[in-house]
Amino acid sequence: MKKIKKLFSLLLIASLVISLAACGKKDNTSGNKNENTPTPTKTAETTDTPAEATPDISKKVDLVFYVMGDAPKDEQVVEDALNKLLLEKANATVDFQFSTWTDWTQKYNLELTSGAADLIYTANWINYATLANSGAFAELDDLIAKDAPNIAKSMDTSLLDQCKVGGKLYAIPNTWPEYTVSGVSYREDLRAKYDLPVPNSVENLEAYLLGIKKNDPKQGLLSVTTGESSGLQVAFDAANILNYKYPWVTPNGLPYGLAANYDTPSTVYDYWNSDDFVNDMKLMKKFADEGLWSRSALSDTNDADAYKNGTCAAVVAGQNPNKDIAAITEYEKNHPDWKSAYIAYGETTGVIFPAHATQNATSILASSKNQDRALMVLDLLLYDKEVNDLVEYGILGTHYEVDANGNYKNLSEDYKYENMNTWDLRNGDFKLPQESDAILNQMFTKYGELAAKTKFPNVNIFGGFAEDYTAYEVERSAVSDVMRQYLAPLQAGLVADVDKAVAEFRNKVKDAGIETCQEQFKTQWAAYCDEHGYK
Amino acid sequence: MKIKQSGSTIVFKVIIYILLTFMAAVCVFPFIIIISGSFTDNYTIITEGYGLLPKNFTISAYKTIFKAPQDILQAYKMNFYYTIVGTGIGLFIITMTAYVISRPEFKYRNNISFIIYFTSIFGGGMIPWYLMYASVLGLKGSTFAIWFPALMSPFLVILMRTFIKESVPDAIAESAKIDGAGHVTIFLKIVMPVLGPGLATIGLFLAIGYWNDWYRSSMFSTSSKTWELQFYLYDLLNATQALRQMAQNTSVSTADLPTESIKLAMAVVATGPVLLFYPFVQKYFVSGITVGAVKG
Repeated sequence: MKKIKKLFSLLLIASLVISLAACGKKDNTSGNKNENTPTPTKTAETTDTPAEATPDISKKVDLVFYVMGDAPKDEQVVEDALNKLLLEKANATVDFQFSTWTDWTQKYNLELTSGAADLIYTANWINYATLANSGAFAELDDLIAKDAPNIAKSMDTSLLDQCKVGGKLYAIPNTWPEYTVSGVSYREDLRAKYDLPVPNSVENLEAYLLGIKKNDPKQGLLSVTTGESSGLQVAFDAANILNYKYPWVTPNGLPYGLAANYDTPSTVYDYWNSDDFVNDMKLMKKFADEGLWSRSALSDTNDADAYKNGTCAAVVAGQNPNKDIAAITEYEKNHPDWKSAYIAYGETTGVIFPAHATQNATSILASSKNQDRALMVLDLLLYDKEVNDLVEYGILGTHYEVDANGNYKNLSEDYKYENMNTWDLRNGDFKLPQESDAILNQMFTKYGELAAKTKFPNVNIFGGFAEDYTAYEVERSAVSDVMRQYLAPLQAGLVADVDKAVAEFRNKVKDAGIETCQEQFKTQWAAYCDEHGYK
Repeated sequence: MKIKQSGSTIVFKVIIYILLTFMAAVCVFPFIIIISGSFTDNYTIITEGYGLLPKNFTISAYKTIFKAPQDILQAYKMNFYYTIVGTGIGLFIITMTAYVISRPEFKYRNNISFIIYFTSIFGGGMIPWYLMYASVLGLKGSTFAIWFPALMSPFLVILMRTFIKESVPDAIAESAKIDGAGHVTIFLKIVMPVLGPGLATIGLFLAIGYWNDWYRSSMFSTSSKTWELQFYLYDLLNATQALRQMAQNTSVSTADLPTESIKLAMAVVATGPVLLFYPFVQKYFVSGITVGAVKG
């Protein structure tokens, strides 16, 4: 017994020492990294200055590029062809490694921790800003001029500015402006058949749905659940309809019931405590009473295929132009007489902006030993047409060809369009259109024109904001619970007395600590708007 | 002559039979629904829901799965490889360890048992575990990294130790020693032959663990050629889901993604072999677990 005790205490001490050492080591390395990263580049610059900024590429370097998703069949074939080019141009090879879609968040973070990769795909939906803040990515400001001549010369500085976190650049965006504007997909064939209005406002959407209901009572109308509404903005999908009414800086307003208009992003107001909110909730109740959605909508499971299978006549939440295109393609294949069309909320409110630059971007790991070469290769991947075409479309003649209209045409199942999942390497000047892109391009042209007219032309203001909620995590999750319990039935119109339910919701959400969240959020948001000049 | 059963026994039996039938039904129904669903037309599932018998019978889901059979066959092959290699080597190492720490003449057996036991309560955590294999040992991408980490588990070692202590009295080993047998002979000739049920139990635990694992592929595979079967199937589903959500990032064609019926068919394909295998070793499984439970 005594022995075991002794052994146990020894083990405990040992584990304590190890954990301390591990923590200490980690702190050291990360601290060193932050300080060290600029230093070697500075020394490198000074030694390089006499040679007039031609980086030394005499040593062959093997780089790893970590990308999302699954590998294409012909990964190796394309990689071999690519490496032949890269060896010539930068004396480097690239090995693409794929995250797969299983547990990718965890694996992405592990990849950053273990530091096995050099180049890595990054995006706002992978928490780019937070990761950059924590020192995972290398600072690129000083490297660009020397290693990436094309990026330095050709890339729009406003794009690069959007990728800056705390004033420093950690990622290189792609250069293809994309509009992921949210809106409503609806059945154009049904609309035309029953001669109904285009659902481009709250009233018209109501008329469209009621018209279908009158003419064909069996047709499902909206398949709305709480499925697309997991954030802190809305609790029930149908509440997205309200976006027709408000020119907010981002769809559904800011989190915690706050809102700000796109034209005055720094002027934040409290939507949940406004009269508008009460009226909107009365409107939602009216819709629910008219039977626009099921009485059991709150407990229904989210059916992503409802629209594709024709069990609903419009989708109001979680939509974007690309999803509508997917529905159109699906209809052409399985239901040739069905037609889908798309109305962006922004077409009514006038607030349209492209996806944020960090939607698809590339970073270099802070732990990479070959940051210079990695950036050189990235420069080639983005701006060298031969290299870019190869990685985006595969080998000309084997995997794809360009048809008479200049459209991309796939030749092989083994390597499809952008099959390396390198959405971050899209170059607006080289990007080959696909046949199905015709409608998409029409939409984008339309949105581009609208976006140019806004106060901040073509800037996605909210997209670059990264909220740090560590200080009020408890309140935040309490608010989220209250939203699910009290706001969801309210927005689903499933309450008897709206005024009473609104009062109850306001009380509960106040008890949950909404004021703390709002205050802290406002402070951070104001600082962000200030930094980027969004007045 | 028949023994007459008293009224209470009959009532008891009736209740037990009803209860067990009900429990069995609860276990079996989901599986029947999966099988019938895998033979049902996808559109029917979406519009009418699942049923016990397939409506609009079709084998198109299986056709889709086996359309490119080389992928799934490769995954099957790798799964058999991992299961056989892992179970074989694991069984050998576990048994040897258990034998050593069960020998009374081994002075530090309790200390070593404790250290083994200790790791089952205090683990290093996922990140050190990953870094160890991926960065320190540099095994990322190799098949070794997939079967090696699961060779031994503290629970199985302790189970095996209890089993050896139960079935091999010290006296037998001692008498063998007097006859001039060394440890290797004692282990191979005396201990191993009486360990049948123990080996079957531990082997089944290991084999099922290997057969059902997907996590290590997820962590360490860099090419789909080394994927385990479960990961291959799991990733198909995840890719579908992710691509639906990601439709905003890329203009993928979502038309050929797996549908409801294909998901169900995949579940059938993945569980099939285990179902066939299970009844034959089940009796060992039960006896083995009770040994561990009572005396462990």
